[in-house]
Amino acid sequence: MTIECHQVQTPYAPSLNRPILNGIDCEIRQGEFVALLGLNGAGKSTLLRSLVGLVPIQRGEIRINNVAITPRNLPQIRRDVGLIFQGGGLIRQLSALENVLCGRLGELSTWKTLWGFSKHDRRHALDLLHQLGLKDRAYQKTGQLSGGQQQRVAIARALIQSPQILLADEPIAGLDVMAAKQVMDILAELHRDRAMTIVVVLHDLSIAANYAQRAIVLDAGRVVYNGECTNLESEFAQLPARSKSGL
Amino acid sequence: MKNIAEFWRRYPWINRLLILGSVILVYGWALRGLKVDLELLKNSWPYVVDFISRLWPPDLKVLDIAVEKLIETIQMSVLGTTIGAIISLPIAMLSSRNLSPVWLQWLANLLQNAVRSVPSIVLGLLFVAATGLGAPAGTLALGIYTIGYLGKFYQQAIEAVDPRSIESLQVSGASPLQIAQYGILPQVLPLGLGYTLWMFEYNIRAASVLGVVGAGGIGFELVNYIRGFEYTKATTMMLVLLVVVTAIDALSSKLRQKLEAM
Repeated sequence: MTIECHQVQTPYAPSLNRPILNGIDCEIRQGEFVALLGLNGAGKSTLLRSLVGLVPIQRGEIRINNVAITPRNLPQIRRDVGLIFQGGGLIRQLSALENVLCGRLGELSTWKTLWGFSKHDRRHALDLLHQLGLKDRAYQKTGQLSGGQQQRVAIARALIQSPQILLADEPIAGLDVMAAKQVMDILAELHRDRAMTIVVVLHDLSIAANYAQRAIVLDAGRVVYNGECTNLESEFAQLPARSKSGL
Repeated sequence: MKNIAEFWRRYPWINRLLILGSVILVYGWALRGLKVDLELLKNSWPYVVDFISRLWPPDLKVLDIAVEKLIETIQMSVLGTTIGAIISLPIAMLSSRNLSPVWLQWLANLLQNAVRSVPSIVLGLLFVAATGLGAPAGTLALGIYTIGYLGKFYQQAIEAVDPRSIESLQVSGASPLQIAQYGILPQVLPLGLGYTLWMFEYNIRAASVLGVVGAGGIGFELVNYIRGFEYTKATTMMLVLLVVVTAIDALSSKLRQKLEAM
Protein backbone atom coordinates (compact mmCIF):
# COMPACT_ATOMS: atom_id res chain seq x y z
CA MET A 1 0.00 0.00 0.00
CA THR A 2 1.61 3.23 -1.12
CA ILE A 3 0.77 6.77 -0.10
CA GLU A 4 1.23 9.45 -2.75
CA CYS A 5 0.77 13.17 -2.20
CA HIS A 6 0.75 15.42 -5.27
CA GLN A 7 0.86 19.19 -4.67
CA VAL A 8 -1.44 18.85 -1.65
CA GLN A 9 -2.74 22.21 -0.46
CA THR A 10 -5.22 22.94 2.34
CA PRO A 11 -7.41 26.08 2.54
CA TYR A 12 -5.80 29.38 3.57
CA ALA A 13 -5.21 29.72 7.33
CA PRO A 14 -5.40 33.40 8.39
CA SER A 15 -3.39 32.72 11.57
CA LEU A 16 -0.41 31.56 9.48
CA ASN A 17 -0.96 33.86 6.48
CA ARG A 18 -0.69 30.77 4.25
CA PRO A 19 -2.28 27.35 3.77
CA ILE A 20 -1.13 24.88 6.47
CA LEU A 21 -0.12 22.43 3.73
CA ASN A 22 1.27 24.44 0.87
CA GLY A 23 2.06 22.07 -1.98
CA ILE A 24 3.17 18.80 -0.36
CA ASP A 25 4.82 16.32 -2.72
CA CYS A 26 5.93 12.95 -1.36
CA GLU A 27 5.56 9.21 -1.71
CA ILE A 28 5.67 6.52 0.97
CA ARG A 29 6.02 2.96 -0.25
CA GLN A 30 4.53 -0.24 1.13
CA GLY A 31 6.30 -1.45 4.28
CA GLU A 32 8.33 1.70 4.91
CA PHE A 33 8.92 3.24 8.35
CA VAL A 34 8.89 7.01 7.81
CA ALA A 35 9.41 9.79 10.35
CA LEU A 36 7.63 13.10 9.70
CA LEU A 37 9.68 15.90 11.19
CA GLY A 38 9.52 19.68 11.34
CA LEU A 39 9.14 22.64 13.60
CA ASN A 40 5.85 23.55 15.29
CA GLY A 41 3.29 24.70 12.72
CA ALA A 42 5.15 23.03 9.84
CA GLY A 43 2.06 20.96 8.97
CA LYS A 44 3.08 17.47 10.17
CA SER A 45 -0.13 16.64 12.07
CA THR A 46 -2.25 18.24 9.35
CA LEU A 47 -0.60 16.05 6.71
CA LEU A 48 -1.31 12.96 8.79
CA ARG A 49 -4.93 14.00 9.32
CA SER A 50 -5.37 14.75 5.62
CA LEU A 51 -4.35 11.14 4.84
CA VAL A 52 -7.55 9.92 6.55
CA GLY A 53 -9.77 12.71 5.20
CA LEU A 54 -10.02 14.72 8.42
CA VAL A 55 -8.66 17.85 6.73
CA PRO A 56 -10.26 19.17 3.52
CA ILE A 57 -7.88 19.55 0.60
CA GLN A 58 -8.23 22.54 -1.68
CA ARG A 59 -5.73 21.56 -4.37
CA GLY A 60 -3.72 18.53 -5.32
CA GLU A 61 -4.44 14.92 -4.60
CA ILE A 62 -3.70 12.17 -2.09
CA ARG A 63 -3.69 8.59 -3.40
CA ILE A 64 -3.67 5.52 -1.17
CA ASN A 65 -2.72 2.45 -3.16
CA ASN A 66 -3.46 4.29 -6.39
CA VAL A 67 -6.93 5.35 -5.29
CA ALA A 68 -7.48 9.10 -4.86
CA ILE A 69 -9.14 10.04 -1.56
CA THR A 70 -12.67 11.34 -2.13
CA PRO A 71 -15.59 11.66 0.32
CA ARG A 72 -17.18 8.66 -1.41
CA ASN A 73 -14.33 6.19 -0.96
CA LEU A 74 -13.23 7.52 2.44
CA PRO A 75 -14.87 4.68 4.46
CA GLN A 76 -13.07 2.12 2.29
CA ILE A 77 -9.71 3.88 2.63
CA ARG A 78 -10.13 4.33 6.39
CA ARG A 79 -10.47 0.55 6.74
CA ASP A 80 -6.87 0.15 5.63
CA VAL A 81 -5.42 3.10 7.53
CA GLY A 82 -5.18 3.35 11.32
CA LEU A 83 -4.46 6.70 12.99
CA ILE A 84 -3.11 7.08 16.51
CA PHE A 85 -3.95 10.59 17.69
CA GLN A 86 -1.73 12.81 19.76
CA GLY A 87 -2.57 11.91 23.37
CA GLY A 88 -4.31 8.76 22.18
CA GLY A 89 -7.75 10.23 21.40
CA LEU A 90 -9.27 7.73 23.81
CA ILE A 91 -12.55 8.01 25.67
CA ARG A 92 -11.38 8.42 29.27
CA GLN A 93 -14.64 7.21 30.77
CA LEU A 94 -14.48 3.84 28.97
CA SER A 95 -12.25 0.93 29.96
CA ALA A 96 -9.15 0.00 27.96
CA LEU A 97 -11.04 -2.99 26.54
CA GLU A 98 -14.04 -0.87 25.46
CA ASN A 99 -11.72 1.66 23.82
CA VAL A 100 -10.00 -1.09 21.84
CA LEU A 101 -13.40 -2.50 20.80
CA CYS A 102 -14.35 0.96 19.48
CA GLY A 103 -11.86 0.27 16.68
CA ARG A 104 -14.32 -2.39 15.42
CA LEU A 105 -17.26 0.02 15.07
CA GLY A 106 -16.67 0.65 11.38
CA GLU A 107 -16.96 -3.08 10.62
CA LEU A 108 -20.19 -3.62 12.53
CA SER A 109 -23.67 -2.22 12.01
CA THR A 110 -25.18 0.30 14.46
CA TRP A 111 -27.83 -2.26 15.39
CA LYS A 112 -25.21 -4.94 16.22
CA THR A 113 -23.22 -2.65 18.49
CA LEU A 114 -26.28 -1.24 20.24
CA TRP A 115 -26.09 -4.01 22.86
CA GLY A 116 -22.30 -4.29 22.97
CA PHE A 117 -19.74 -6.47 21.18
CA SER A 118 -19.57 -10.20 20.45
CA LYS A 119 -17.48 -12.63 22.51
CA HIS A 120 -15.20 -13.09 19.51
CA ASP A 121 -14.50 -9.35 19.29
CA ARG A 122 -13.90 -9.11 23.04
CA ARG A 123 -11.47 -12.04 22.91
CA HIS A 124 -9.61 -10.44 20.00
CA ALA A 125 -9.38 -7.11 21.86
CA LEU A 126 -8.12 -8.87 25.01
CA ASP A 127 -5.49 -10.68 22.91
CA LEU A 128 -4.25 -7.37 21.54
CA LEU A 129 -4.09 -5.84 25.01
CA HIS A 130 -2.21 -8.94 26.16
CA GLN A 131 0.30 -8.57 23.30
CA LEU A 132 0.87 -4.96 24.31
CA GLY A 133 1.33 -5.88 27.98
CA LEU A 134 -1.96 -4.46 29.19
CA LYS A 135 -4.08 -7.52 29.93
CA ASP A 136 -4.30 -6.75 33.64
CA ARG A 137 -5.44 -3.20 32.83
CA ALA A 138 -8.16 -4.25 30.39
CA TYR A 139 -11.08 -3.34 32.65
CA GLN A 140 -9.54 -0.16 34.05
CA LYS A 141 -10.82 3.21 32.82
CA THR A 142 -8.31 4.73 30.42
CA GLY A 143 -8.43 8.04 32.32
CA GLN A 144 -6.71 6.19 35.18
CA LEU A 145 -3.88 4.79 33.02
CA SER A 146 -0.44 6.36 32.57
CA GLY A 147 0.45 8.21 29.36
CA GLY A 148 2.44 5.26 28.01
CA GLN A 149 -0.36 2.81 28.79
CA GLN A 150 -2.88 5.08 27.08
CA GLN A 151 -0.71 5.17 23.95
CA ARG A 152 -0.55 1.38 23.94
CA VAL A 153 -4.37 1.21 24.23
CA ALA A 154 -4.55 3.60 21.26
CA ILE A 155 -2.21 1.33 19.30
CA ALA A 156 -4.36 -1.69 20.17
CA ARG A 157 -7.46 0.18 19.00
CA ALA A 158 -5.79 0.96 15.68
CA LEU A 159 -4.57 -2.65 15.33
CA ILE A 160 -8.01 -4.21 15.86
CA GLN A 161 -8.91 -2.71 12.47
CA SER A 162 -6.04 -4.75 10.95
CA PRO A 163 -4.75 -1.73 9.02
CA GLN A 164 -2.04 -1.94 6.41
CA ILE A 165 -0.88 1.59 7.14
CA LEU A 166 -0.44 2.92 10.66
CA LEU A 167 -0.15 6.69 11.19
CA ALA A 168 0.94 7.98 14.59
CA ASP A 169 0.80 11.64 15.57
CA GLU A 170 3.48 12.34 18.19
CA PRO A 171 2.91 9.02 19.97
CA ILE A 172 5.70 9.66 22.48
CA ALA A 173 4.92 13.28 23.33
CA GLY A 174 4.88 13.73 27.10
CA LEU A 175 6.12 10.20 27.85
CA ASP A 176 9.16 9.36 29.96
CA VAL A 177 12.19 7.74 28.31
CA MET A 178 11.18 4.17 29.15
CA ALA A 179 7.55 4.57 28.05
CA ALA A 180 8.67 6.32 24.84
CA LYS A 181 11.06 3.46 24.05
CA GLN A 182 8.34 0.89 24.72
CA VAL A 183 5.91 2.64 22.32
CA MET A 184 8.56 3.05 19.60
CA ASP A 185 9.64 -0.59 20.00
CA ILE A 186 6.02 -1.70 19.46
CA LEU A 187 5.82 0.36 16.26
CA ALA A 188 9.14 -1.08 15.07
CA GLU A 189 7.90 -4.60 15.79
CA LEU A 190 4.70 -4.02 13.81
CA HIS A 191 6.78 -2.76 10.93
CA ARG A 192 9.20 -5.69 11.08
CA ASP A 193 6.79 -8.58 11.79
CA ARG A 194 3.70 -7.51 9.87
CA ALA A 195 5.35 -5.43 7.14
CA MET A 196 3.08 -2.59 8.13
CA THR A 197 3.69 0.86 6.65
CA ILE A 198 4.38 3.19 9.57
CA VAL A 199 4.32 6.98 9.36
CA VAL A 200 5.09 8.68 12.64
CA VAL A 201 5.29 12.36 13.57
CA LEU A 202 8.26 12.94 15.86
CA HIS A 203 10.13 15.81 17.43
CA ASP A 204 13.17 13.86 18.59
CA LEU A 205 15.78 13.58 15.82
CA SER A 206 17.77 10.81 17.53
CA ILE A 207 14.65 8.65 17.95
CA ALA A 208 13.82 9.23 14.29
CA ALA A 209 17.33 8.18 13.32
CA ASN A 210 17.10 5.05 15.52
CA TYR A 211 13.77 3.77 14.25
CA ALA A 212 12.85 5.25 10.87
CA GLN A 213 14.20 4.23 7.47
CA ARG A 214 13.45 7.59 5.96
CA ALA A 215 12.67 11.10 7.16
CA ILE A 216 10.43 13.70 5.58
CA VAL A 217 11.07 17.17 6.96
CA LEU A 218 8.36 19.80 6.56
CA ASP A 219 8.72 23.54 6.81
CA ALA A 220 5.92 26.09 6.30
CA GLY A 221 3.70 23.43 4.73
CA ARG A 222 6.27 22.15 2.22
CA VAL A 223 8.64 19.20 2.07
CA VAL A 224 12.16 20.55 2.53
CA TYR A 225 13.96 17.25 3.00
CA ASN A 226 13.08 13.72 1.97
CA GLY A 227 15.74 11.09 2.53
CA GLU A 228 17.84 9.10 4.95
CA CYS A 229 17.88 9.79 8.67
CA THR A 230 21.66 9.92 8.92
CA ASN A 231 22.25 13.65 8.88
CA LEU A 232 19.06 15.14 10.23
CA GLU A 233 20.66 17.67 12.56
CA SER A 234 22.40 19.47 9.74
CA GLU A 235 19.18 19.40 7.70
CA PHE A 236 17.42 21.08 10.59
CA ALA A 237 20.18 23.65 10.92
CA GLN A 238 19.44 24.75 7.39
CA LEU A 239 15.79 25.52 8.11
CA PRO A 240 15.08 29.26 7.81
CA ALA A 241 15.87 31.17 11.00
CA ARG A 242 12.39 32.70 11.16
CA SER A 243 10.83 29.25 11.47
CA LYS A 244 13.25 28.21 14.17
CA SER A 245 12.16 31.12 16.36
CA GLY A 246 8.72 29.48 16.49
CA LEU A 247 10.13 26.52 18.45
CA MET B 1 -4.80 50.51 14.05
CA LYS B 2 -1.20 49.79 15.03
CA ASN B 3 -0.95 53.18 16.82
CA ILE B 4 -4.09 52.48 18.85
CA ALA B 5 -2.78 49.07 19.93
CA GLU B 6 0.53 50.69 20.89
CA PHE B 7 -1.32 53.35 22.91
CA TRP B 8 -3.21 50.70 24.96
CA ARG B 9 0.02 48.80 25.55
CA ARG B 10 1.81 51.92 26.84
CA TYR B 11 -0.99 53.11 29.11
CA PRO B 12 -2.73 49.99 30.53
CA TRP B 13 -4.04 51.95 33.55
CA ILE B 14 -6.36 53.98 31.25
CA ASN B 15 -8.02 50.71 30.23
CA ARG B 16 -8.52 49.68 33.87
CA LEU B 17 -9.87 53.14 34.75
CA LEU B 18 -12.38 52.91 31.90
CA ILE B 19 -13.56 49.45 33.09
CA LEU B 20 -13.97 50.74 36.68
CA GLY B 21 -15.89 53.78 35.41
CA SER B 22 -18.19 51.55 33.34
CA VAL B 23 -18.93 49.27 36.34
CA ILE B 24 -19.80 52.30 38.52
CA LEU B 25 -22.03 53.67 35.76
CA VAL B 26 -23.92 50.37 35.38
CA TYR B 27 -24.59 50.06 39.14
CA GLY B 28 -25.55 53.73 39.40
CA TRP B 29 -27.96 53.30 36.48
CA ALA B 30 -29.57 50.22 38.12
CA LEU B 31 -29.98 51.90 41.52
CA ARG B 32 -31.42 55.07 39.98
CA GLY B 33 -33.80 53.08 37.81
CA LEU B 34 -35.17 51.10 40.77
CA LYS B 35 -35.45 54.25 42.92
CA VAL B 36 -34.03 52.42 45.96
CA ASP B 37 -34.81 54.59 49.00
CA LEU B 38 -32.31 53.71 51.74
CA GLU B 39 -34.11 56.00 54.23
CA LEU B 40 -37.36 54.09 53.73
CA LEU B 41 -35.55 50.78 54.21
CA LYS B 42 -34.12 52.02 57.52
CA ASN B 43 -37.55 53.13 58.78
CA SER B 44 -39.28 49.89 57.80
CA TRP B 45 -36.99 47.74 59.94
CA PRO B 46 -39.46 47.54 62.92
CA TYR B 47 -42.18 46.20 60.59
CA VAL B 48 -39.85 43.49 59.34
CA VAL B 49 -38.99 42.48 62.93
CA ASP B 50 -42.72 42.44 63.81
CA PHE B 51 -43.50 40.17 60.85
CA ILE B 52 -40.69 37.75 61.73
CA SER B 53 -41.76 37.63 65.40
CA ARG B 54 -45.27 36.60 64.36
CA LEU B 55 -43.80 33.58 62.52
CA TRP B 56 -42.60 32.08 65.80
CA PRO B 57 -43.11 29.50 67.34
CA PRO B 58 -43.95 27.01 64.59
CA ASP B 59 -47.35 25.29 64.93
CA LEU B 60 -46.48 21.58 64.79
CA LYS B 61 -50.17 20.57 64.58
CA VAL B 62 -49.89 20.91 60.79
CA LEU B 63 -46.73 18.80 60.61
CA ASP B 64 -48.58 15.85 59.02
CA ILE B 65 -50.03 18.14 56.31
CA ALA B 66 -46.59 19.66 55.76
CA VAL B 67 -44.97 16.22 55.32
CA GLU B 68 -47.79 15.05 52.99
CA LYS B 69 -47.48 18.18 50.83
CA LEU B 70 -43.71 17.97 50.85
CA ILE B 71 -43.83 14.42 49.52
CA GLU B 72 -46.13 15.69 46.76
CA THR B 73 -43.60 18.47 46.02
CA ILE B 74 -40.77 15.93 45.75
CA GLN B 75 -42.91 13.74 43.46
CA MET B 76 -43.61 16.79 41.26
CA SER B 77 -39.89 17.54 41.10
CA VAL B 78 -38.95 13.93 40.26
CA LEU B 79 -41.45 13.68 37.40
CA GLY B 80 -40.99 17.26 36.18
CA THR B 81 -37.20 16.93 36.08
CA THR B 82 -37.46 13.58 34.26
CA ILE B 83 -39.86 14.96 31.62
CA GLY B 84 -37.62 18.01 31.16
CA ALA B 85 -34.43 15.92 30.96
CA ILE B 86 -35.87 13.60 28.30
CA ILE B 87 -36.99 16.51 26.11
CA SER B 88 -33.79 18.51 26.77
CA LEU B 89 -31.40 15.87 25.45
CA PRO B 90 -32.36 15.99 21.73
CA ILE B 91 -32.71 19.79 21.88
CA ALA B 92 -29.21 20.04 23.40
CA MET B 93 -27.79 17.79 20.68
CA LEU B 94 -29.38 19.96 17.99
CA SER B 95 -27.98 23.13 19.66
CA SER B 96 -24.39 21.87 19.97
CA ARG B 97 -21.85 23.38 17.61
CA ASN B 98 -19.87 20.14 17.41
CA LEU B 99 -22.87 18.05 16.28
CA SER B 100 -25.27 20.19 14.26
CA PRO B 101 -25.20 22.52 11.28
CA VAL B 102 -25.40 26.24 12.07
CA TRP B 103 -29.05 26.68 10.98
CA LEU B 104 -30.20 23.86 13.23
CA GLN B 105 -28.14 25.19 16.14
CA TRP B 106 -29.80 28.57 15.67
CA LEU B 107 -33.31 27.10 15.67
CA ALA B 108 -32.69 24.86 18.70
CA ASN B 109 -31.10 27.73 20.63
CA LEU B 110 -34.07 29.94 19.80
CA LEU B 111 -36.40 27.27 21.19
CA GLN B 112 -34.31 27.01 24.38
CA ASN B 113 -34.28 30.79 24.84
CA ALA B 114 -38.04 30.99 24.24
CA VAL B 115 -38.70 28.39 26.95
CA ARG B 116 -36.23 30.01 29.36
CA SER B 117 -37.80 33.44 29.00
CA VAL B 118 -41.22 32.22 30.24
CA PRO B 119 -41.40 32.49 34.07
CA SER B 120 -42.34 29.31 35.93
CA ILE B 121 -45.40 31.06 37.42
CA VAL B 122 -46.73 31.76 33.90
CA LEU B 123 -46.19 28.11 32.96
CA GLY B 124 -48.00 27.13 36.17
CA LEU B 125 -50.99 29.35 35.26
CA LEU B 126 -51.00 27.91 31.73
CA PHE B 127 -51.15 24.30 32.92
CA VAL B 128 -53.65 25.08 35.69
CA ALA B 129 -55.90 26.38 32.91
CA ALA B 130 -55.27 23.19 30.94
CA THR B 131 -55.49 20.48 33.62
CA GLY B 132 -57.08 22.24 36.58
CA LEU B 133 -55.74 22.97 40.08
CA GLY B 134 -53.28 20.53 41.60
CA ALA B 135 -49.99 18.69 41.23
CA PRO B 136 -50.35 17.53 37.56
CA ALA B 137 -50.33 21.17 36.41
CA GLY B 138 -47.25 21.90 38.50
CA THR B 139 -45.46 18.79 37.23
CA LEU B 140 -46.02 19.73 33.59
CA ALA B 141 -44.96 23.32 34.27
CA LEU B 142 -41.75 22.08 35.91
CA GLY B 143 -41.12 19.76 32.95
CA ILE B 144 -41.23 22.62 30.46
CA TYR B 145 -39.37 25.01 32.77
CA THR B 146 -36.58 22.42 33.13
CA ILE B 147 -35.99 22.31 29.35
CA GLY B 148 -34.79 25.92 29.33
CA TYR B 149 -32.01 25.12 31.78
CA LEU B 150 -31.10 21.47 31.24
CA GLY B 151 -31.06 22.03 27.47
CA LYS B 152 -28.34 24.65 27.96
CA PHE B 153 -26.41 22.58 30.52
CA TYR B 154 -26.49 19.43 28.37
CA GLN B 155 -25.43 21.49 25.35
CA GLN B 156 -22.38 22.77 27.26
CA ALA B 157 -21.52 19.22 28.36
CA ILE B 158 -21.75 18.00 24.75
CA GLU B 159 -19.60 20.87 23.49
CA ALA B 160 -16.96 20.01 26.12
CA VAL B 161 -16.45 16.54 24.63
CA ASP B 162 -12.83 15.89 23.56
CA PRO B 163 -12.88 16.43 19.76
CA ARG B 164 -9.96 14.03 19.18
CA SER B 165 -11.86 11.15 20.78
CA ILE B 166 -14.73 11.77 18.37
CA GLU B 167 -12.41 12.05 15.37
CA SER B 168 -10.76 8.77 16.36
CA LEU B 169 -14.16 7.05 16.14
CA GLN B 170 -14.85 8.74 12.78
CA VAL B 171 -11.54 7.43 11.46
CA SER B 172 -12.43 3.91 12.59
CA GLY B 173 -15.56 4.23 10.44
CA ALA B 174 -18.18 4.52 13.20
CA SER B 175 -21.68 5.71 12.23
CA PRO B 176 -23.12 8.90 13.81
CA LEU B 177 -25.25 6.78 16.18
CA GLN B 178 -22.25 4.68 17.19
CA ILE B 179 -20.28 7.88 17.82
CA ALA B 180 -23.15 9.15 20.00
CA GLN B 181 -23.34 5.86 21.94
CA TYR B 182 -19.64 5.13 22.42
CA GLY B 183 -18.04 8.58 22.12
CA ILE B 184 -20.41 11.29 23.28
CA LEU B 185 -22.66 9.57 25.84
CA PRO B 186 -19.89 8.22 28.13
CA GLN B 187 -18.27 11.66 28.25
CA VAL B 188 -21.50 13.60 28.74
CA LEU B 189 -23.20 11.24 31.20
CA PRO B 190 -21.32 12.11 34.43
CA LEU B 191 -21.65 15.86 33.85
CA GLY B 192 -25.24 15.53 32.58
CA LEU B 193 -26.34 13.48 35.59
CA GLY B 194 -24.73 16.04 37.89
CA TYR B 195 -26.68 18.84 36.20
CA THR B 196 -29.90 16.79 36.37
CA LEU B 197 -29.45 16.27 40.11
CA TRP B 198 -28.88 19.99 40.58
CA MET B 199 -32.05 20.69 38.57
CA PHE B 200 -34.04 18.21 40.68
CA GLU B 201 -32.92 20.05 43.79
CA TYR B 202 -33.76 23.40 42.20
CA ASN B 203 -37.18 22.13 41.08
CA ILE B 204 -38.18 21.33 44.67
CA ARG B 205 -37.85 25.03 45.41
CA ALA B 206 -39.48 25.98 42.11
CA ALA B 207 -42.40 23.59 42.85
CA SER B 208 -42.96 25.44 46.13
CA VAL B 209 -43.35 28.69 44.21
CA LEU B 210 -45.75 27.08 41.72
CA GLY B 211 -48.14 26.31 44.58
CA VAL B 212 -48.88 30.04 44.74
CA VAL B 213 -50.88 29.77 41.50
CA GLY B 214 -52.62 26.56 42.61
CA ALA B 215 -50.31 24.15 40.81
CA GLY B 216 -50.01 21.81 43.82
CA GLY B 217 -47.20 21.11 46.25
CA ILE B 218 -46.24 22.65 49.57
CA GLY B 219 -46.40 26.20 48.20
CA PHE B 220 -50.18 26.02 47.87
CA GLU B 221 -50.59 25.37 51.62
CA LEU B 222 -47.88 27.88 52.49
CA VAL B 223 -49.60 30.72 50.63
CA ASN B 224 -53.00 29.79 52.06
CA TYR B 225 -51.67 30.00 55.63
CA ILE B 226 -49.99 33.36 54.97
CA ARG B 227 -53.14 34.75 53.35
CA GLY B 228 -55.14 33.55 56.39
CA PHE B 229 -52.62 35.23 58.78
CA GLU B 230 -51.75 31.78 60.21
CA TYR B 231 -48.06 32.60 60.26
CA THR B 232 -46.99 29.93 62.80
CA LYS B 233 -48.42 27.20 60.52
CA ALA B 234 -46.61 28.77 57.55
CA THR B 235 -43.38 28.56 59.60
CA THR B 236 -43.86 24.80 60.03
CA MET B 237 -44.19 24.46 56.24
CA MET B 238 -41.03 26.50 55.65
CA LEU B 239 -39.04 24.60 58.29
CA VAL B 240 -39.99 21.21 56.81
CA LEU B 241 -39.01 22.51 53.37
CA LEU B 242 -35.70 23.80 54.76
CA VAL B 243 -34.83 20.44 56.34
CA VAL B 244 -35.63 18.49 53.17
CA VAL B 245 -33.90 20.93 50.80
CA THR B 246 -30.77 20.87 53.01
CA ALA B 247 -30.79 17.04 53.14
CA ILE B 248 -31.28 16.72 49.37
CA ASP B 249 -28.59 19.34 48.75
CA ALA B 250 -26.08 17.42 50.89
CA LEU B 251 -26.99 14.11 49.25
CA SER B 252 -26.85 15.41 45.69
CA SER B 253 -23.55 17.25 46.39
CA LYS B 254 -22.01 13.91 47.41
CA LEU B 255 -23.47 12.20 44.34
CA ARG B 256 -22.24 15.00 42.07
CA GLN B 257 -18.73 14.71 43.49
CA LYS B 258 -18.75 10.99 42.71
CA LEU B 259 -20.05 11.62 39.18
CA GLU B 260 -17.42 14.28 38.52
CA ALA B 261 -14.69 11.81 39.52
CA MET B 262 -15.93 9.32 36.88
